[in-house]
Amino acid sequence: MDFVILSLVMLAIGVYGLLTNRQLLKVFISIELIATAATINFVMLASSMGIGLGQAFLILAFSTDTAVSAVILALLVIVSKKYGTSDISKIIKAEEEKTEKEAES
Amino acid sequence: MILEILSIGLIVSACLALFLDEVIYSVAALAGTFLFTALLYVINGAVFAAIFQFAVGVGTLAILFLSGEMLSDKPVKKTSPQKMGTLLGLGVVLSLPAIFLSVSGAAGTYSDASFGDALWNLSGLDVVLEALVILTVAVGIAIVLYEKRIGGK
Repeated sequence: MDFVILSLVMLAIGVYGLLTNRQLLKVFISIELIATAATINFVMLASSMGIGLGQAFLILAFSTDTAVSAVILALLVIVSKKYGTSDISKIIKAEEEKTEKEAES
Repeated sequence: MILEILSIGLIVSACLALFLDEVIYSVAALAGTFLFTALLYVINGAVFAAIFQFAVGVGTLAILFLSGEMLSDKPVKKTSPQKMGTLLGLGVVLSLPAIFLSVSGAAGTYSDASFGDALWNLSGLDVVLEALVILTVAVGIAIVLYEKRIGGK
């Protein structure tokens, strides 16, 4: 059982989801998975070596992650309310159309 | 044996969280991911990390459930049993390398610093971190209020 490979697999799943999903909430879930993969690697290595510092740094990492998550979720709600959808490709299309109209006028 | 079961559950729930069609079910699968992560921490002796993971996970999931309800604009098609089976199989296959392969080399320098000592030594970082969190939340609130003001005009 190797936690480095486990966290690598988690990281790969998160990056794949980040690249392929078009729903904003799924993108956010991908980011959460990537953060979880990083913390798993960190905590498991530290605890297997008997270092308490790993858990202390984990608290710092989690706090930062939570703050970033709050801002991301606020932005998600704003963007989805503004454009009426949470699909990234539709949002990009709407923004391109808006830019084209502004360029014409 | 229990570590292998937990790692399989972790990978499977991560796959389900990403690839299920319904957003609410995805968030529920993400809850499973957090739970399996916390259990892994407990088994490896990192109890404080497990408690913190659990607390942060509960907060994140509550907000995600709310956002999922707000952002899901139309009912999506339900996930077919074939896709569910494929996702479960994919998760099990992806967890096999973590069970059977190993990249760990020789152990490095060991330290017997306890969690309390380590946290106390980092007490200066606590203040910086709190400032960072407050600043980030302030920026988020400012964005929301600005958007509200623009929308009200």
